[in-house]
Amino acid sequence: MRWAVLAALAIGLLLLALYPLVATGYGIRFMLQLFMWVALAQSWNLISGLTGYVSFGHVAFFGTGAYAGAILVTTHGWHWGPASLAGGVAAVILALIIGYPCLRLKGPYFAIAMLGLNEVMRVLVSYFEGLTGGGSGLSLPTLHASGQIYYAMGAAALAVTGAAHLLITSRVGLRFMTIREDEIAAEAMGINTERYKLYAFLLSAFVPGVVGGFFARDQGYIEPISVFPLLTTITMIVMVLFGGKGTIWGPVLGAVTLFVFQELVWARFLYLHQIFFGAIIVFVVLLMPRGILGVLQERYRLPRTI
Amino acid sequence: MGVTITPTMVGQVVISGLLAGALYSMVALGLALIYGVMRVINIAHGTLLMLGAYTTFWWFRLLGINPYLSLLVALPLMFFVGMLLQRTLVARVVDAPELSSLLLTFGISIALVNVAQLTFTSDVRSVEFLTGAFLVGPFALSKSRLVAFAVAVAITAIAFWFLQKTKLGKAIRATSQSSEVAMVCGINVHRIHLYAFGIASALASAGGSLVAVMVAIQPEMGQVYTFKSFLVIVLGGAGNYPGALLGGMLLGLVEQLASLFLTTQLSEAVAYVLLVLVLLLRPTGLLGGRAT
Repeated sequence: MRWAVLAALAIGLLLLALYPLVATGYGIRFMLQLFMWVALAQSWNLISGLTGYVSFGHVAFFGTGAYAGAILVTTHGWHWGPASLAGGVAAVILALIIGYPCLRLKGPYFAIAMLGLNEVMRVLVSYFEGLTGGGSGLSLPTLHASGQIYYAMGAAALAVTGAAHLLITSRVGLRFMTIREDEIAAEAMGINTERYKLYAFLLSAFVPGVVGGFFARDQGYIEPISVFPLLTTITMIVMVLFGGKGTIWGPVLGAVTLFVFQELVWARFLYLHQIFFGAIIVFVVLLMPRGILGVLQERYRLPRTI
Repeated sequence: MGVTITPTMVGQVVISGLLAGALYSMVALGLALIYGVMRVINIAHGTLLMLGAYTTFWWFRLLGINPYLSLLVALPLMFFVGMLLQRTLVARVVDAPELSSLLLTFGISIALVNVAQLTFTSDVRSVEFLTGAFLVGPFALSKSRLVAFAVAVAITAIAFWFLQKTKLGKAIRATSQSSEVAMVCGINVHRIHLYAFGIASALASAGGSLVAVMVAIQPEMGQVYTFKSFLVIVLGGAGNYPGALLGGMLLGLVEQLASLFLTTQLSEAVAYVLLVLVLLLRPTGLLGGRAT
Protein backbone atom coordinates (compact mmCIF):
# COMPACT_ATOMS: atom_id res chain seq x y z
CA MET A 1 0.00 0.00 0.00
CA ARG A 2 2.72 2.36 1.06
CA TRP A 3 4.75 1.53 -2.04
CA ALA A 4 1.74 1.99 -4.28
CA VAL A 5 1.18 5.47 -2.88
CA LEU A 6 4.83 6.39 -3.29
CA ALA A 7 4.87 5.05 -6.84
CA ALA A 8 1.75 7.00 -7.71
CA LEU A 9 3.32 10.15 -6.27
CA ALA A 10 6.54 9.59 -8.23
CA ILE A 11 4.63 9.07 -11.47
CA GLY A 12 2.51 12.16 -10.80
CA LEU A 13 5.61 14.27 -10.19
CA LEU A 14 7.29 12.89 -13.32
CA LEU A 15 4.24 13.77 -15.41
CA LEU A 16 4.17 17.28 -13.95
CA ALA A 17 7.90 17.63 -14.66
CA LEU A 18 7.41 16.59 -18.30
CA TYR A 19 4.23 18.62 -18.76
CA PRO A 20 5.92 21.81 -20.11
CA LEU A 21 7.23 19.77 -23.11
CA VAL A 22 3.69 19.33 -24.44
CA ALA A 23 1.82 22.21 -22.84
CA THR A 24 0.50 25.39 -24.40
CA GLY A 25 1.44 28.76 -22.92
CA TYR A 26 -1.95 28.92 -21.21
CA GLY A 27 -1.49 25.44 -19.76
CA ILE A 28 1.84 26.36 -18.22
CA ARG A 29 0.48 29.56 -16.72
CA PHE A 30 -2.54 27.71 -15.34
CA MET A 31 -0.38 25.09 -13.63
CA LEU A 32 2.08 27.70 -12.41
CA GLN A 33 -0.71 29.55 -10.63
CA LEU A 34 -2.07 26.30 -9.26
CA PHE A 35 1.36 25.54 -7.75
CA MET A 36 1.43 29.03 -6.29
CA TRP A 37 -1.90 28.47 -4.55
CA VAL A 38 -0.81 25.08 -3.23
CA ALA A 39 2.33 26.70 -1.80
CA LEU A 40 0.39 29.59 -0.25
CA ALA A 41 -2.39 27.44 1.20
CA GLN A 42 0.10 24.96 2.58
CA SER A 43 2.07 27.79 4.23
CA TRP A 44 -1.03 29.16 5.93
CA ASN A 45 -1.71 25.65 7.14
CA LEU A 46 1.67 25.54 8.93
CA ILE A 47 0.75 28.33 11.35
CA SER A 48 -3.04 28.28 11.47
CA GLY A 49 -3.79 24.63 10.75
CA LEU A 50 -1.10 23.25 13.05
CA THR A 51 -0.93 25.68 15.99
CA GLY A 52 -4.49 27.06 15.70
CA TYR A 53 -3.31 30.70 15.60
CA VAL A 54 -5.28 32.33 12.78
CA SER A 55 -3.35 34.56 10.42
CA PHE A 56 -5.67 37.04 8.71
CA GLY A 57 -2.87 38.77 6.85
CA HIS A 58 -0.64 36.17 5.29
CA VAL A 59 -0.66 38.01 1.99
CA ALA A 60 1.60 40.59 3.69
CA PHE A 61 4.46 38.08 3.40
CA PHE A 62 3.65 37.40 -0.22
CA GLY A 63 3.69 41.13 -0.99
CA THR A 64 6.87 41.74 1.01
CA GLY A 65 8.62 38.95 -0.88
CA ALA A 66 7.33 40.29 -4.19
CA TYR A 67 8.67 43.78 -3.48
CA ALA A 68 11.98 42.60 -2.03
CA GLY A 69 12.52 40.31 -5.02
CA ALA A 70 11.48 42.90 -7.58
CA ILE A 71 13.69 45.60 -6.06
CA LEU A 72 16.71 43.30 -6.08
CA VAL A 73 16.05 42.39 -9.70
CA THR A 74 15.48 45.91 -10.99
CA THR A 75 17.92 48.06 -9.02
CA HIS A 76 20.62 45.56 -8.13
CA GLY A 77 20.50 43.36 -11.22
CA TRP A 78 20.05 40.10 -9.32
CA HIS A 79 18.85 36.93 -10.99
CA TRP A 80 15.20 36.31 -10.03
CA GLY A 81 16.01 33.01 -8.30
CA PRO A 82 18.26 34.31 -5.50
CA ALA A 83 16.22 37.52 -5.42
CA SER A 84 13.10 35.50 -4.61
CA LEU A 85 14.91 33.58 -1.88
CA ALA A 86 15.95 36.96 -0.44
CA GLY A 87 12.25 37.88 -0.64
CA GLY A 88 11.54 34.85 1.55
CA VAL A 89 14.15 36.04 4.05
CA ALA A 90 12.56 39.51 4.08
CA ALA A 91 9.20 37.92 4.82
CA VAL A 92 10.70 35.94 7.71
CA ILE A 93 12.20 39.12 9.17
CA LEU A 94 8.81 40.81 9.00
CA ALA A 95 7.25 37.77 10.65
CA LEU A 96 9.78 37.98 13.45
CA ILE A 97 9.00 41.65 14.10
CA ILE A 98 5.25 40.98 14.29
CA GLY A 99 5.35 37.49 15.77
CA TYR A 100 7.61 38.21 18.70
CA PRO A 101 5.28 40.65 20.50
CA CYS A 102 2.00 39.09 19.38
CA LEU A 103 2.70 35.41 19.88
CA ARG A 104 3.91 35.83 23.45
CA LEU A 105 0.26 36.21 24.36
CA LYS A 106 -2.55 33.73 24.14
CA GLY A 107 -5.82 34.63 22.56
CA PRO A 108 -6.85 36.72 19.59
CA TYR A 109 -4.03 39.30 19.67
CA PHE A 110 -2.11 37.62 16.91
CA ALA A 111 -5.16 37.30 14.66
CA ILE A 112 -5.98 41.00 14.92
CA ALA A 113 -2.38 42.11 14.53
CA MET A 114 -2.30 40.15 11.28
CA LEU A 115 -5.61 41.69 10.22
CA GLY A 116 -3.97 45.14 10.26
CA LEU A 117 -0.54 44.14 8.91
CA ASN A 118 -1.53 43.97 5.27
CA GLU A 119 -2.94 47.48 5.33
CA VAL A 120 0.19 48.84 6.99
CA MET A 121 2.48 47.17 4.47
CA ARG A 122 0.45 48.64 1.63
CA VAL A 123 0.73 52.11 3.19
CA LEU A 124 4.49 51.75 3.73
CA VAL A 125 5.13 50.47 0.23
CA SER A 126 3.14 53.36 -1.24
CA TYR A 127 4.96 55.85 0.96
CA PHE A 128 8.58 54.89 0.22
CA GLU A 129 8.30 55.84 -3.43
CA GLY A 130 12.03 56.11 -4.04
CA LEU A 131 12.48 52.42 -3.35
CA THR A 132 9.21 50.93 -4.50
CA GLY A 133 7.84 53.26 -7.15
CA GLY A 134 4.93 54.07 -4.83
CA GLY A 135 1.44 53.84 -6.25
CA SER A 136 2.68 53.76 -9.83
CA GLY A 137 4.32 50.40 -9.26
CA LEU A 138 7.52 48.70 -10.27
CA SER A 139 8.30 47.24 -13.71
CA LEU A 140 10.78 44.40 -14.07
CA PRO A 141 12.93 44.04 -17.18
CA THR A 142 11.26 41.88 -19.83
CA LEU A 143 12.13 38.21 -19.60
CA HIS A 144 10.32 35.16 -20.90
CA ALA A 145 10.83 32.65 -18.14
CA SER A 146 7.42 31.03 -17.69
CA GLY A 147 8.97 27.58 -18.12
CA GLN A 148 11.55 28.17 -15.39
CA ILE A 149 9.02 29.81 -13.10
CA TYR A 150 6.78 26.77 -13.60
CA TYR A 151 9.49 24.57 -12.08
CA ALA A 152 10.32 27.13 -9.39
CA MET A 153 6.67 27.38 -8.27
CA GLY A 154 6.34 23.60 -8.44
CA ALA A 155 9.45 23.20 -6.29
CA ALA A 156 8.04 25.68 -3.74
CA ALA A 157 4.73 23.80 -3.57
CA LEU A 158 6.58 20.49 -3.23
CA ALA A 159 8.97 21.83 -0.60
CA VAL A 160 6.27 23.24 1.66
CA THR A 161 4.14 20.10 1.28
CA GLY A 162 7.21 18.04 2.15
CA ALA A 163 7.81 20.31 5.16
CA ALA A 164 4.19 19.79 6.24
CA HIS A 165 4.71 16.02 5.97
CA LEU A 166 7.92 16.13 8.00
CA LEU A 167 6.30 18.34 10.64
CA ILE A 168 3.05 16.46 11.02
CA THR A 169 4.88 13.16 11.44
CA SER A 170 7.51 14.50 13.84
CA ARG A 171 7.80 15.58 17.46
CA VAL A 172 8.03 19.25 16.52
CA GLY A 173 4.72 18.97 14.67
CA LEU A 174 3.18 17.22 17.67
CA ARG A 175 4.25 20.17 19.81
CA PHE A 176 2.57 22.57 17.36
CA MET A 177 -0.61 20.53 17.43
CA THR A 178 -0.56 20.24 21.22
CA ILE A 179 -0.53 24.04 21.35
CA ARG A 180 -3.60 24.03 19.11
CA GLU A 181 -5.47 21.50 21.23
CA ASP A 182 -4.67 22.93 24.64
CA GLU A 183 -2.01 25.54 25.13
CA ILE A 184 -1.99 25.38 28.91
CA ALA A 185 -1.60 21.61 28.85
CA ALA A 186 1.20 22.05 26.31
CA GLU A 187 3.00 24.37 28.71
CA ALA A 188 2.44 21.98 31.57
CA MET A 189 4.13 19.26 29.51
CA GLY A 190 7.19 21.45 29.24
CA ILE A 191 6.72 22.77 25.70
CA ASN A 192 8.05 26.29 25.32
CA THR A 193 4.88 27.49 23.59
CA GLU A 194 6.13 30.99 22.84
CA ARG A 195 9.10 29.62 21.00
CA TYR A 196 7.24 26.93 19.06
CA LYS A 197 4.49 29.31 17.98
CA LEU A 198 7.18 31.62 16.66
CA TYR A 199 8.92 28.75 14.82
CA ALA A 200 5.68 27.76 13.14
CA PHE A 201 5.03 31.36 12.16
CA LEU A 202 8.50 31.97 10.72
CA LEU A 203 8.26 28.74 8.74
CA SER A 204 4.88 29.76 7.39
CA ALA A 205 6.17 33.16 6.27
CA PHE A 206 9.18 32.00 4.26
CA VAL A 207 7.55 30.29 1.28
CA PRO A 208 4.93 33.01 0.67
CA GLY A 209 7.83 35.47 0.47
CA VAL A 210 9.69 33.30 -2.04
CA VAL A 211 6.55 32.68 -4.07
CA GLY A 212 5.88 36.43 -4.03
CA GLY A 213 9.29 36.92 -5.69
CA PHE A 214 8.42 34.35 -8.37
CA PHE A 215 5.05 36.01 -8.88
CA ALA A 216 6.66 39.44 -9.35
CA ARG A 217 9.04 37.98 -11.93
CA ASP A 218 6.23 36.18 -13.70
CA GLN A 219 3.96 39.23 -13.85
CA GLY A 220 6.73 41.62 -14.81
CA TYR A 221 4.92 44.48 -13.07
CA ILE A 222 3.77 44.88 -9.47
CA GLU A 223 1.94 47.61 -7.60
CA PRO A 224 0.67 47.82 -3.99
CA ILE A 225 -2.86 46.65 -4.80
CA SER A 226 -1.70 43.74 -6.96
CA VAL A 227 0.51 42.08 -4.34
CA PHE A 228 -1.34 43.00 -1.11
CA PRO A 229 -4.96 42.08 -1.89
CA LEU A 230 -7.09 40.88 1.02
CA LEU A 231 -8.63 38.38 -1.39
CA THR A 232 -5.38 36.40 -1.50
CA THR A 233 -5.49 35.84 2.25
CA ILE A 234 -9.17 34.91 2.04
CA THR A 235 -8.43 32.43 -0.75
CA MET A 236 -5.61 30.76 1.22
CA ILE A 237 -7.87 30.39 4.25
CA VAL A 238 -10.80 29.00 2.25
CA MET A 239 -8.58 26.49 0.44
CA VAL A 240 -7.16 25.12 3.67
CA LEU A 241 -10.46 25.02 5.54
CA PHE A 242 -12.22 23.38 2.60
CA GLY A 243 -9.55 20.72 2.09
CA GLY A 244 -8.94 20.06 5.78
CA LYS A 245 -6.81 22.17 8.12
CA GLY A 246 -3.91 20.62 9.96
CA THR A 247 -3.48 17.82 7.41
CA ILE A 248 -0.77 17.24 4.79
CA TRP A 249 -2.98 16.78 1.73
CA GLY A 250 -5.99 18.89 2.72
CA PRO A 251 -4.47 22.19 1.55
CA VAL A 252 -3.41 20.56 -1.75
CA LEU A 253 -6.89 19.15 -2.26
CA GLY A 254 -8.53 22.48 -1.36
CA ALA A 255 -6.18 24.50 -3.57
CA VAL A 256 -6.66 22.26 -6.60
CA THR A 257 -10.45 22.02 -6.28
CA LEU A 258 -11.08 25.70 -5.61
CA PHE A 259 -8.55 27.00 -8.10
CA VAL A 260 -9.97 24.92 -10.94
CA PHE A 261 -13.47 25.96 -9.94
CA GLN A 262 -12.42 29.59 -9.73
CA GLU A 263 -10.85 29.56 -13.19
CA LEU A 264 -13.75 27.79 -14.85
CA VAL A 265 -16.74 29.35 -13.15
CA TRP A 266 -16.10 32.26 -10.88
CA ALA A 267 -13.64 34.50 -12.68
CA ARG A 268 -16.54 36.47 -14.15
CA PHE A 269 -18.51 36.93 -10.92
CA LEU A 270 -16.08 38.49 -8.45
CA TYR A 271 -18.49 39.50 -5.70
CA LEU A 272 -20.64 36.38 -5.90
CA HIS A 273 -17.43 34.40 -5.77
CA GLN A 274 -16.41 36.12 -2.54
CA ILE A 275 -19.87 35.68 -1.01
CA PHE A 276 -19.44 32.00 -1.83
CA PHE A 277 -16.04 32.02 -0.07
CA GLY A 278 -17.57 33.62 3.01
CA ALA A 279 -20.31 31.01 2.97
CA ILE A 280 -17.77 28.16 2.66
CA ILE A 281 -15.92 29.45 5.72
CA VAL A 282 -19.12 29.65 7.76
CA PHE A 283 -20.28 26.25 6.53
CA VAL A 284 -16.97 24.49 7.18
CA VAL A 285 -16.51 26.00 10.65
CA LEU A 286 -20.03 25.03 11.73
CA LEU A 287 -20.62 21.72 10.00
CA MET A 288 -17.40 20.25 8.62
CA PRO A 289 -14.57 21.44 10.87
CA ARG A 290 -12.05 18.96 9.47
CA GLY A 291 -12.82 19.74 5.84
CA ILE A 292 -13.28 17.35 2.93
CA LEU A 293 -10.34 15.23 4.01
CA GLY A 294 -11.82 14.85 7.48
CA VAL A 295 -15.05 13.57 5.98
CA LEU A 296 -13.13 11.13 3.76
CA GLN A 297 -11.04 9.99 6.73
CA GLU A 298 -14.13 9.09 8.69
CA ARG A 299 -15.81 7.35 5.79
CA TYR A 300 -12.91 5.36 4.35
CA ARG A 301 -10.65 4.82 7.36
CA LEU A 302 -7.69 6.66 5.91
CA PRO A 303 -4.53 6.98 8.00
CA ARG A 304 -4.48 9.65 10.71
CA THR A 305 -1.56 11.55 9.23
CA ILE A 306 -2.54 12.27 5.69
CA MET B 1 10.69 68.14 9.61
CA GLY B 2 11.25 71.81 10.35
CA VAL B 3 7.65 72.43 11.41
CA THR B 4 7.28 74.71 14.40
CA ILE B 5 4.54 73.58 16.70
CA THR B 6 2.53 76.31 18.35
CA PRO B 7 0.32 75.96 21.45
CA THR B 8 -2.70 76.60 19.19
CA MET B 9 -1.81 73.60 17.07
CA VAL B 10 -1.48 71.42 20.14
CA GLY B 11 -4.84 72.67 21.39
CA GLN B 12 -6.43 71.91 18.05
CA VAL B 13 -4.94 68.44 18.10
CA VAL B 14 -6.25 67.74 21.59
CA ILE B 15 -9.74 68.90 20.63
CA SER B 16 -9.80 66.89 17.39
CA GLY B 17 -8.38 63.90 19.20
CA LEU B 18 -11.07 63.93 21.86
CA LEU B 19 -13.80 64.42 19.25
CA ALA B 20 -12.58 61.40 17.28
CA GLY B 21 -11.86 59.43 20.45
CA ALA B 22 -15.44 59.51 21.74
CA LEU B 23 -16.57 57.78 18.57
CA TYR B 24 -13.85 55.13 18.86
CA SER B 25 -14.86 54.55 22.49
CA MET B 26 -18.49 53.96 21.59
CA VAL B 27 -17.74 51.54 18.75
CA ALA B 28 -15.10 49.69 20.75
CA LEU B 29 -17.47 49.33 23.72
CA GLY B 30 -19.54 47.06 21.47
CA LEU B 31 -16.56 44.85 20.67
CA ALA B 32 -15.56 44.80 24.34
CA LEU B 33 -19.07 43.75 25.34
CA ILE B 34 -19.06 40.71 23.03
CA TYR B 35 -15.55 39.78 24.10
CA GLY B 36 -16.49 40.27 27.74
CA VAL B 37 -19.51 37.99 27.83
CA MET B 38 -18.50 35.37 25.25
CA ARG B 39 -14.71 35.57 24.80
CA VAL B 40 -15.38 36.02 21.10
CA ILE B 41 -13.65 38.66 18.98
CA ASN B 42 -16.16 39.68 16.38
CA ILE B 43 -14.21 40.25 13.14
CA ALA B 44 -17.50 41.41 11.57
CA HIS B 45 -17.81 44.36 13.99
CA GLY B 46 -16.60 46.90 11.43
CA THR B 47 -18.85 45.29 8.82
CA LEU B 48 -21.85 46.04 11.03
CA LEU B 49 -20.58 49.61 11.25
CA MET B 50 -20.50 49.72 7.43
CA LEU B 51 -24.12 48.53 7.31
CA GLY B 52 -25.07 51.34 9.71
CA ALA B 53 -23.33 53.86 7.45
CA TYR B 54 -25.25 52.61 4.42
CA THR B 55 -28.53 52.75 6.33
CA THR B 56 -27.87 56.43 6.97
CA PHE B 57 -26.77 57.02 3.39
CA TRP B 58 -29.92 55.49 1.88
CA TRP B 59 -32.15 57.20 4.44
CA PHE B 60 -30.67 60.54 3.43
CA ARG B 61 -30.62 59.78 -0.32
CA LEU B 62 -34.14 58.39 -0.56
CA LEU B 63 -36.01 60.38 2.07
CA GLY B 64 -33.90 63.53 2.20
CA ILE B 65 -34.48 63.85 5.94
CA ASN B 66 -31.83 64.82 8.49
CA PRO B 67 -29.31 61.93 8.45
CA TYR B 68 -28.98 61.92 12.25
CA LEU B 69 -32.62 60.89 12.52
CA SER B 70 -31.69 57.66 10.75
CA LEU B 71 -30.20 56.57 14.09
CA LEU B 72 -33.76 55.97 15.25
CA VAL B 73 -34.13 53.35 12.52
CA ALA B 74 -30.58 52.02 12.23
CA LEU B 75 -30.11 51.28 15.93
CA PRO B 76 -33.14 49.03 16.47
CA LEU B 77 -32.66 47.47 13.03
CA MET B 78 -29.03 46.52 13.68
CA PHE B 79 -29.92 45.42 17.21
CA PHE B 80 -32.14 42.76 15.63
CA VAL B 81 -29.64 41.92 12.90
CA GLY B 82 -27.07 41.36 15.65
CA MET B 83 -29.39 39.14 17.64
CA LEU B 84 -30.17 37.18 14.49
CA LEU B 85 -26.46 36.61 13.75
CA GLN B 86 -25.89 35.50 17.32
CA ARG B 87 -28.91 33.23 17.36
CA THR B 88 -28.26 31.50 14.03
CA LEU B 89 -24.46 31.39 13.78
CA VAL B 90 -22.25 32.77 16.54
CA ALA B 91 -24.03 30.93 19.39
CA ARG B 92 -22.76 27.66 17.93
CA VAL B 93 -19.10 28.53 18.43
CA VAL B 94 -19.16 30.35 21.77
CA ASP B 95 -17.71 27.38 23.63
CA ALA B 96 -15.54 26.17 20.74
CA PRO B 97 -11.81 26.99 20.46
CA GLU B 98 -11.02 30.57 19.54
CA LEU B 99 -10.05 29.59 16.00
CA SER B 100 -13.68 28.73 15.24
CA SER B 101 -15.20 32.03 16.32
CA LEU B 102 -12.47 34.08 14.63
CA LEU B 103 -12.92 32.22 11.35
CA LEU B 104 -16.71 32.20 11.59
CA THR B 105 -17.01 35.94 12.12
CA PHE B 106 -14.39 36.47 9.40
CA GLY B 107 -16.55 34.43 7.01
CA ILE B 108 -19.64 36.39 8.00
CA SER B 109 -17.75 39.61 7.39
CA ILE B 110 -16.57 38.57 3.89
CA ALA B 111 -20.07 37.48 2.91
CA LEU B 112 -21.70 40.71 4.16
CA VAL B 113 -19.09 43.00 2.59
CA ASN B 114 -19.60 41.36 -0.78
CA VAL B 115 -23.37 41.36 -0.51
CA ALA B 116 -22.94 45.11 0.01
CA GLN B 117 -20.62 45.28 -3.04
CA LEU B 118 -23.28 43.57 -5.13
CA THR B 119 -26.30 45.51 -3.94
CA PHE B 120 -24.83 48.96 -3.23
CA THR B 121 -21.93 48.69 -5.79
CA SER B 122 -18.40 49.66 -4.84
CA ASP B 123 -19.03 53.35 -5.69
CA VAL B 124 -17.78 55.67 -2.99
CA ARG B 125 -20.77 57.44 -1.43
CA SER B 126 -21.03 60.41 0.85
CA VAL B 127 -23.69 62.24 2.80
CA GLU B 128 -23.47 65.97 2.10
CA PHE B 129 -24.80 67.40 5.32
CA LEU B 130 -23.59 69.76 8.00
CA THR B 131 -20.33 70.73 6.32
CA GLY B 132 -18.15 73.52 7.62
CA ALA B 133 -16.86 74.36 11.07
CA PHE B 134 -17.51 76.60 14.05
CA LEU B 135 -14.68 78.98 14.84
CA VAL B 136 -14.13 79.22 18.60
CA GLY B 137 -11.23 81.56 19.33
CA PRO B 138 -8.26 80.17 17.41
CA PHE B 139 -9.81 76.69 17.07
CA ALA B 140 -11.88 75.26 14.24
CA LEU B 141 -14.51 72.74 15.31
CA SER B 142 -15.95 70.73 12.46
CA LYS B 143 -19.74 70.74 12.82
CA SER B 144 -20.26 67.10 11.84
CA ARG B 145 -17.51 65.96 14.21
CA LEU B 146 -18.96 68.01 17.03
CA VAL B 147 -22.39 66.45 16.55
CA ALA B 148 -20.82 62.98 16.25
CA PHE B 149 -19.00 63.64 19.52
CA ALA B 150 -22.15 64.74 21.33
CA VAL B 151 -24.22 61.82 20.06
CA ALA B 152 -21.45 59.30 20.81
CA VAL B 153 -21.04 60.64 24.35
CA ALA B 154 -24.81 60.47 24.90
CA ILE B 155 -25.11 56.91 23.57
CA THR B 156 -22.07 55.75 25.55
CA ALA B 157 -23.51 57.36 28.70
CA ILE B 158 -26.82 55.56 28.17
CA ALA B 159 -24.97 52.28 27.60
CA PHE B 160 -23.04 52.72 30.86
CA TRP B 161 -26.14 53.70 32.78
CA PHE B 162 -27.77 50.57 31.41
CA LEU B 163 -24.81 48.37 32.41
CA GLN B 164 -24.57 49.89 35.89
CA LYS B 165 -28.16 50.38 36.92
CA THR B 166 -30.55 48.03 35.17
CA LYS B 167 -31.07 44.41 36.10
CA LEU B 168 -30.21 43.24 32.59
CA GLY B 169 -27.07 45.38 32.59
CA LYS B 170 -25.98 43.84 35.88
CA ALA B 171 -26.63 40.39 34.45
CA ILE B 172 -24.39 41.24 31.48
CA ARG B 173 -21.61 42.38 33.78
CA ALA B 174 -22.03 39.30 35.94
CA THR B 175 -21.77 37.07 32.87
CA SER B 176 -18.61 38.78 31.75
CA GLN B 177 -17.09 38.32 35.21
CA SER B 178 -17.83 34.62 35.24
CA SER B 179 -20.17 32.79 32.95
CA GLU B 180 -20.46 29.77 35.25
CA VAL B 181 -21.22 31.70 38.40
CA ALA B 182 -23.76 33.83 36.53
CA MET B 183 -25.45 30.64 35.37
CA VAL B 184 -25.53 29.30 38.93
CA CYS B 185 -27.18 32.54 40.03
CA GLY B 186 -30.02 31.85 37.64
CA ILE B 187 -29.00 34.12 34.80
CA ASN B 188 -29.93 32.79 31.38
CA VAL B 189 -26.49 33.15 29.85
CA HIS B 190 -27.62 32.39 26.30
CA ARG B 191 -30.11 35.24 26.50
CA ILE B 192 -27.39 37.53 27.78
CA HIS B 193 -25.21 36.58 24.80
CA LEU B 194 -28.10 37.46 22.50
CA TYR B 195 -28.65 40.88 24.07
CA ALA B 196 -24.93 41.61 24.22
CA PHE B 197 -24.52 40.89 20.52
CA GLY B 198 -27.58 43.01 19.72
CA ILE B 199 -26.34 45.96 21.77
CA ALA B 200 -22.85 45.63 20.30
CA SER B 201 -24.25 45.68 16.76
CA ALA B 202 -26.34 48.74 17.58
CA LEU B 203 -23.25 50.52 18.96
CA ALA B 204 -21.25 49.65 15.81
CA SER B 205 -24.08 50.82 13.59
CA ALA B 206 -24.40 54.08 15.55
CA GLY B 207 -20.72 54.62 14.79
CA GLY B 208 -21.47 53.97 11.13
CA SER B 209 -24.32 56.46 11.05
CA LEU B 210 -22.13 59.14 12.61
CA VAL B 211 -19.09 58.59 10.37
CA ALA B 212 -21.36 58.47 7.32
CA VAL B 213 -21.65 62.25 7.53
CA MET B 214 -17.87 62.69 7.86
CA VAL B 215 -16.07 60.19 5.66
CA ALA B 216 -16.47 58.30 2.38
CA ILE B 217 -18.81 55.33 2.51
CA GLN B 218 -17.94 52.12 0.70
CA PRO B 219 -18.39 48.41 1.43
CA GLU B 220 -14.82 47.83 2.61
CA MET B 221 -14.76 50.76 5.05
CA GLY B 222 -15.41 48.56 8.07
CA GLN B 223 -12.23 46.57 8.44
CA VAL B 224 -10.17 49.45 9.75
CA TYR B 225 -12.77 50.00 12.49
CA THR B 226 -12.60 46.36 13.55
CA PHE B 227 -8.87 46.80 13.91
CA LYS B 228 -9.06 50.12 15.75
CA SER B 229 -11.80 48.90 18.08
CA PHE B 230 -9.62 45.97 19.00
CA LEU B 231 -6.69 48.30 19.61
CA VAL B 232 -8.93 50.38 21.89
CA ILE B 233 -9.85 47.39 24.03
CA VAL B 234 -6.22 46.28 24.16
CA LEU B 235 -5.25 49.79 25.32
CA GLY B 236 -7.94 49.77 27.99
CA GLY B 237 -7.47 46.15 29.01
CA ALA B 238 -9.54 43.37 27.46
CA GLY B 239 -12.84 42.83 29.29
CA ASN B 240 -12.57 46.15 31.08
CA TYR B 241 -15.51 48.35 29.98
CA PRO B 242 -14.40 51.73 31.41
CA GLY B 243 -11.00 50.89 29.91
CA ALA B 244 -12.59 51.01 26.47
CA LEU B 245 -13.54 54.66 27.06
CA LEU B 246 -10.03 55.62 28.04
CA GLY B 247 -8.57 53.58 25.18
CA GLY B 248 -10.76 55.30 22.61
CA MET B 249 -9.79 58.78 23.78
CA LEU B 250 -6.14 57.78 23.82
CA LEU B 251 -6.28 56.40 20.28
CA GLY B 252 -7.98 59.59 19.05
CA LEU B 253 -5.31 61.75 20.67
CA VAL B 254 -2.36 59.68 19.46
CA GLU B 255 -3.67 59.62 15.89
CA GLN B 256 -4.17 63.37 15.81
CA LEU B 257 -0.84 64.01 17.45
CA ALA B 258 0.86 61.81 14.88
CA SER B 259 -0.76 63.79 12.09
CA LEU B 260 1.17 66.84 13.33
CA PHE B 261 4.49 65.16 12.63
CA LEU B 262 3.75 62.70 9.86
CA THR B 263 2.09 62.83 6.48
CA THR B 264 -1.53 61.66 6.44
CA GLN B 265 -0.44 58.52 4.60
CA LEU B 266 1.93 57.42 7.35
CA SER B 267 -0.35 58.43 10.21
CA GLU B 268 -2.63 55.59 9.10
CA ALA B 269 0.08 53.22 10.27
CA VAL B 270 0.32 54.84 13.70
CA ALA B 271 -2.51 52.78 15.20
CA TYR B 272 -0.65 49.67 14.15
CA VAL B 273 2.64 50.68 15.69
CA LEU B 274 0.72 51.55 18.85
CA LEU B 275 -0.81 48.06 18.99
CA VAL B 276 2.56 46.32 18.61
CA LEU B 277 4.12 48.58 21.27
CA VAL B 278 1.33 47.97 23.78
CA LEU B 279 1.49 44.21 23.23
CA LEU B 280 5.24 44.37 23.73
CA LEU B 281 5.31 46.59 26.80
CA ARG B 282 2.00 46.31 28.62
CA PRO B 283 -0.11 43.47 27.25
CA THR B 284 -2.71 43.67 30.03
CA GLY B 285 -3.73 47.15 28.96
CA LEU B 286 -3.27 50.47 30.68
CA LEU B 287 -5.99 49.93 33.29
CA GLY B 288 -5.23 46.23 33.62
CA GLY B 289 -7.57 43.64 32.26
CA ARG B 290 -7.69 39.92 32.12
CA ALA B 291 -5.36 39.26 29.24
CA THR B 292 -3.27 36.16 29.77
